[in-house]
Amino acid sequence: MPKITIDNKEIECRAGVPVLQAALEAGWDVPHYCYHPGLSIVASCRLCLMEMMMPNPKTQELSWSPKLVPSCQTPVKDGLICRFGSDTVKHNQRVCMEFFLLNHPLDCPVCDQAGECYLQDYSYKFGNPTSRMVDQKLKNPKKDIGPRTLLYQDRCVMCSRCVRVTDEVSGTFELGIVNRGSRCEIDAFPGKPLDNPLQGNVVDVCPVGAMLDKDFLFKRRVWELRSTSSVCPKCATGCAIHVDHADNKVYRLKPRFNPKVNTWWMCDEGRFGFKYVHDKKRIVKPIVRRGMDHESPDWADVPDIVRFRFSELVKRDGAAKVAAVLSPFLSCEEAWLLCKFIRSLAPTAALVTGLIPYSGEDRKFPIGSNNGTTKFTILKEKCPNRRGIETILKAFGGTTLTFDEFCKKATTGEFSAAWITGGYPEPWVEKETAKIAEKIEFLVVQDIFENELCTGAGMIFPSCGWAEREGSFMNAAGVLQSFERAIAPPDGAKQDGQYLYDIAGYSGLYRATRIRELMSAEVPAMKELYVPPEMPAHAH
Amino acid sequence: MANFEPILLRNRGVTGSTSLKVYESRGGYRAVRKALKMTPDEVVEEVKKANLRGRGGAGFPAGMKWSFLPKDRTRTLLCVNADESEPPTFCNRVLMETDPHQLIEGTIIAAYATKSQIAYIYMRVEFHEQFHIVQRAIDEAYAAGYLGTKIFGTDYSLECYVHRGAGAYVCGEETGLIESLEGKRGWPRIKPPFPAVEGLFRRPTVVNNVETLSCVPHIIERGAAWFTGIGPPHSTGPKLFCISGPVKKPGCYESPMTISVRDLLEREDMGGGMLPGKRAKAVLPGGASMGIISANEFDMKMDFEDPRKFGLLGLGTAAAVVIDDSIDMRVVLRNMARFYGTESCGQCTQCREGTAWMHKMATRIAMGAGRVEDLDVMLQTARNMGMMPGLSICGLPDGATYPIETIIKKFRGELESAIRAQPAGRAKRVLSVLN
Amino acid sequence: MAQPAGERLLKLSRSVKRAMSWQTINRNLPVMDPKAPPVLTEAVREKIRGFFPRYETKRAVLLPALHIVQDALGHISWKAMAEIAALLEIQPSDVIDTISFYTHFWTHSKGKKVIVACRSVSCEVMGGVAVLEELKKRLGIDEHETTADGAYSLVTEECLAGCDHAPCVIINEKLHKRVRAEDVVKLLADHANARLEIPRSDLFDAPAKTAADPASQNSQAEDLVGTTSDVREMRES
Repeated sequence: MPKITIDNKEIECRAGVPVLQAALEAGWDVPHYCYHPGLSIVASCRLCLMEMMMPNPKTQELSWSPKLVPSCQTPVKDGLICRFGSDTVKHNQRVCMEFFLLNHPLDCPVCDQAGECYLQDYSYKFGNPTSRMVDQKLKNPKKDIGPRTLLYQDRCVMCSRCVRVTDEVSGTFELGIVNRGSRCEIDAFPGKPLDNPLQGNVVDVCPVGAMLDKDFLFKRRVWELRSTSSVCPKCATGCAIHVDHADNKVYRLKPRFNPKVNTWWMCDEGRFGFKYVHDKKRIVKPIVRRGMDHESPDWADVPDIVRFRFSELVKRDGAAKVAAVLSPFLSCEEAWLLCKFIRSLAPTAALVTGLIPYSGEDRKFPIGSNNGTTKFTILKEKCPNRRGIETILKAFGGTTLTFDEFCKKATTGEFSAAWITGGYPEPWVEKETAKIAEKIEFLVVQDIFENELCTGAGMIFPSCGWAEREGSFMNAAGVLQSFERAIAPPDGAKQDGQYLYDIAGYSGLYRATRIRELMSAEVPAMKELYVPPEMPAHAH
Repeated sequence: MANFEPILLRNRGVTGSTSLKVYESRGGYRAVRKALKMTPDEVVEEVKKANLRGRGGAGFPAGMKWSFLPKDRTRTLLCVNADESEPPTFCNRVLMETDPHQLIEGTIIAAYATKSQIAYIYMRVEFHEQFHIVQRAIDEAYAAGYLGTKIFGTDYSLECYVHRGAGAYVCGEETGLIESLEGKRGWPRIKPPFPAVEGLFRRPTVVNNVETLSCVPHIIERGAAWFTGIGPPHSTGPKLFCISGPVKKPGCYESPMTISVRDLLEREDMGGGMLPGKRAKAVLPGGASMGIISANEFDMKMDFEDPRKFGLLGLGTAAAVVIDDSIDMRVVLRNMARFYGTESCGQCTQCREGTAWMHKMATRIAMGAGRVEDLDVMLQTARNMGMMPGLSICGLPDGATYPIETIIKKFRGELESAIRAQPAGRAKRVLSVLN
Repeated sequence: MAQPAGERLLKLSRSVKRAMSWQTINRNLPVMDPKAPPVLTEAVREKIRGFFPRYETKRAVLLPALHIVQDALGHISWKAMAEIAALLEIQPSDVIDTISFYTHFWTHSKGKKVIVACRSVSCEVMGGVAVLEELKKRLGIDEHETTADGAYSLVTEECLAGCDHAPCVIINEKLHKRVRAEDVVKLLADHANARLEIPRSDLFDAPAKTAADPASQNSQAEDLVGTTSDVREMRES
């Protein structure tokens, strides 16, 4: 690990990173716009300039070089000495902030970015209190740059991050720079708008309010939002995300840095795929059905009812006639609790991996990249926890089935009791599958929306959206990540983990961390929870 | 030195000087034959010994540039910088329209010395006639076997193409030129890597100015010692000087770098003095980017070192424009500010915003709505954009600051009295209309 | 006297026709008809392809290609950009990115004669402003505008490197030297400006690699005479 000295303080840093990155990681707030660790370096914003010790070409004596050098473009080298605290450096930062604001409309009151804008923050921290510009400002147009994104060109600082995202991450090249000099603008070719599965990242990387998400536009001031660490449930990639919410409502999802999974990016499918959580048609109450009658029992009575019905049938038909279908939308903890419960009543019960939804093909980005150069993958496996479920089932052993095998057996009447979990955002029960409900005497369906199995179900449990739950998912590559509860379930519903916890015979409040402890004692693979490093406080 | 025998311009005025036949009859293509008998390293060494400093503006020694190429390279490219856009410079134009074969000969020698396979001549698009002349000369050279495969019967092959620009000052910067050659916007690249290591198409690349390359055949033919014998030790060899503005004989003149601005302006074999009734007030002696000198500084020597003593950036392109006393300095200030405002490439913040802001202020001042404090703001903005050693990727903003700074500093009295002569409250009223 | 300067400045800022901050440009819709027949003829395409061997990447052919297309069509339309992009296997956004950087490429049609007036320091010192004002007056248009009949466009440029002959004006490809305001009428009427000695796109023919007949080269040399003119000569005639 190279050691470098910044402002008279020696720090150890990772090899191969730019000085700017090392400084940010060590806690310095170095202003920067164009530098992004996931993109190529253009060194054009000139905000991160620093002073550096250089050997005199004649005497080899070290002295501060007269030229300020961009810290984003200078790789760390053992023994490098630089400073950000000097007057020259600070003066340059002040100068740059004055330049950035010359033509800026200062429309912060109506700007979506206000509150998380690096023009605001840097002007406050590094800029001038007043402007000396008295001449007419350039007034650039707004651009409807794509179906999901708006570009407010007059707020742009020309860092070109967005252009580099389309060039280097998505590989779709929709954005470019037009004109030159102070008339430079970001633009797309008419009829070739910004429209690719990763386009939302363009909004994320924009340090100012130039690129805005139409979906979030004017919905909420960002300082009212609370951010919860989560994992995207849309595909088996399992991107680390932030769920930004307020008043029990999810407003937007943003990628969270995870070097092992998604680095800085996420796809639009995931980004805008949270809407089902707020669907009015969701199941919100437990339902017990007897013939044509149905009623909603009190949650407190639910464990007894379930346990009674299952043990009754186990006594009558034997333990092997029981099955539990574990949906890949369940968290590992929920799946473990359900397995625990079923196997405690019926030790030879079949454990089934739920239906794995596939759609299309894996999509690799940048488009045309191969395994070595791929930066992001959207998987065709559209569920977050297939691998987690399989791992748990393997640990439990005994009879384990795939969903197809289960359906085949169920139609021949091999099961008299079954617990089927769902949680799929889209309808998933096909006509053939629905028929199994008739062959199973006591069927428990746990799902987020009513489906065709519900008509034949003896009990129906409301499943919650992932933002209302806590737990962990294991992605297709085997990385186990935890997600936290962002919002409360709708009135009447309970978090899946909580009622499974109650049914499995525990008492008190369900905490995913506690279950993870218990679980990892039996399933060693569940010990290795990966917690990605936080982004440095002043990095963006 | 009054009767200096022209070297680079020796064929000017000779009938048919652009044709291969005439060029050869006057001793052309002898140097390249000599060079091809030497090893490439010997050629580099000779040019190094001659201390040939680049004529494009920065004055970087050409031989040194060539020796930065990595030793283990397999493919090298040579770019000839004929994107002469610095106002008021036209010496490359004169070289190309009078003696294109001299450039081609220099190009072949430089390409051989750097082991280049292709030479691209990047020519600004406004050179229409010059393009025809050079292209025809290239065709002639191909036909004679001086370009193409196995030139001059040796094993060395060289392709030479003219690549026309499209109107961008910054493409005269070597990495801007390379980007432009690759079909992109001419945004200069961040260095390192320097072009010698990774340039055009990511290959080792050498970029040399037309005038620099035109000197090369003479160095090879007559030797480095002869070359260093011309002019002062730090500024060796013949140099083309341009003079324009209200002088009797505006044009391009060749001389060792021993002359002063006054010589260029007044000598009979050069500018020949001012037009009747005009009096010189100031001179931009080295192209716009170097800055201005006032009438009492005309004894400045035009070499690579002396201009710095007068607050200028350097010799630049050694192209002087004379400003007579009928011209309002506010107009010159606006002209300079406008040039950099329109030609800034827009990559680095300081330059993109600073040049445009200075243009706005200078336009307002020239229209008679200036404020005295605008001069201070301009001066500060100029410095904030970065005077040498600079804050930006390329040197354009440094070039933009020098004329602004020197005009305001050296002609502050004139500018201020012009501003004070405006009707009272005018600036305020104009600004209220604008905002 | 206070108003005019302000108004002039305002006019100046308005004269650059561009969308303003309160307008929204829609980039979702194509501005060209994708079903319309191609605008690049096979001859033009062939000429562009002729440049491929010169460069290591196809993208590097972009500048020559844009010159060829502009010479053939008078300007580079959106459709032409898309077709060039397809031909060079790059993105249309790359093409507009490059075009918009250079002042020499036009995305909208220009007049038959494009007048480029130099406004650099030498020309300004030698009276270039008066020439430009006279041009504007005679043509009835402002900078970067085209006359209603499509005969003339007026463009200003920084330095044409003809400073020893300041002030300079280029009309199509012919450089006019030492132009004075009173020469403008004559200059505009000069028929030679409309007709170039060589068709423009031939400027981009690949160099002759075969040994050419020296005689034909000489005759070619004579053809080239007169792409510049000294206005003083014209005055005297």
